[in-house]
Amino acid sequence: MSELSNLPSQKDAIAAALALYPARPFAVSDIGSQTGWLKAAGHDPRNLYVSGPMGLATSVALGLAAVRPDQQVLAIAGDGALAMNLTSLATIAGAKPKNLSILLVDNRVYEFTASVPSPTAELDWLAVGRAFFGAGQCLRLSDLTAARWAGVARPAMIVADVAPAPGKPPALGLTPAMIRQTFLEASKR
Amino acid sequence: MPETASGGDRLFRSIVTARPKLVTGVPDGMLAETIMLCASAADFPYIACAREEECIGVACGAAMAGERAVVMVQNAGLLNALGAFATMGLRYGLPFVTIVTNRGALADPNGYDIEKREAFDAGVRPMARVFDFDAANLPDDLIPAAFKWAEAARKPVILALEKRLGAEAAA
Repeated sequence: MSELSNLPSQKDAIAAALALYPARPFAVSDIGSQTGWLKAAGHDPRNLYVSGPMGLATSVALGLAAVRPDQQVLAIAGDGALAMNLTSLATIAGAKPKNLSILLVDNRVYEFTASVPSPTAELDWLAVGRAFFGAGQCLRLSDLTAARWAGVARPAMIVADVAPAPGKPPALGLTPAMIRQTFLEASKR
Repeated sequence: MPETASGGDRLFRSIVTARPKLVTGVPDGMLAETIMLCASAADFPYIACAREEECIGVACGAAMAGERAVVMVQNAGLLNALGAFATMGLRYGLPFVTIVTNRGALADPNGYDIEKREAFDAGVRPMARVFDFDAANLPDDLIPAAFKWAEAARKPVILALEKRLGAEAAA
């Protein structure tokens, strides 16, 4: 683990992961910090801001990837969120979608809930991802370039160590109906 | 449909007729035949999930893109996934079809199923539309009709399938 002061922000890590793609992927973010920081990193009609239980973004992204097999999908999950739906990694590994990746932003706290420490603070997420997807398909964000990412088979996982933010991200300011309609139109293009 | 078709095969054929883009689920004995048929179907992928809450997420992902998705779980499984069903399916108004085997019926009296049924009645029916069917006598147009209802209502629908007394003799 790097020194916390040297780590990128969650917003910057999300922006860097999206920049690995030659064209904007669908981005499915978990409730709370990931949704707020995804919007701050770059609001786009192809962003799907998930409400509901923490950790569901990986499952929602799997369903989206299955019905849009010619489009790239990136699920964005925090360490606390993914721990709540860790079994989704097994499901994704079994389903083998060729267009789905997961960005795990690890800040070791429940940032949206007063930064209470998460139970996975000491977990080696790179090892977890490699157990499900293999060493070649689970990489650190800091080791990736667009060229290298283009050659990584899917499903894949990116692990990003990020610094906890001093406060919450800006409010989303979108209703579920607005999110759904905007995304529905973008998903048909 | 031939009269000799099993309940599981009838359900599968009805699913195929509705032309979903994906089917997902967690097994239950009453769904086993349908799941096996879906897993080998050429028309759509079957996504085998490790937990029922994942199934709701998968269906929501498809429905967010405007595509049809079918979920198959046991009543206890839907209870595991009620948070996702409410805060994704109902909150975003997503018209997917959830097939639930409602165990613990009068004709299905396993001791370990009784409380599942009580919890299903107490927890699910007040918050979502549930239509009940005899698992051995399913209408051919069940799943297409369920999608039409869900799409008109703009919310998910639950089809509760149960074993009924005298059903096997009648079939």
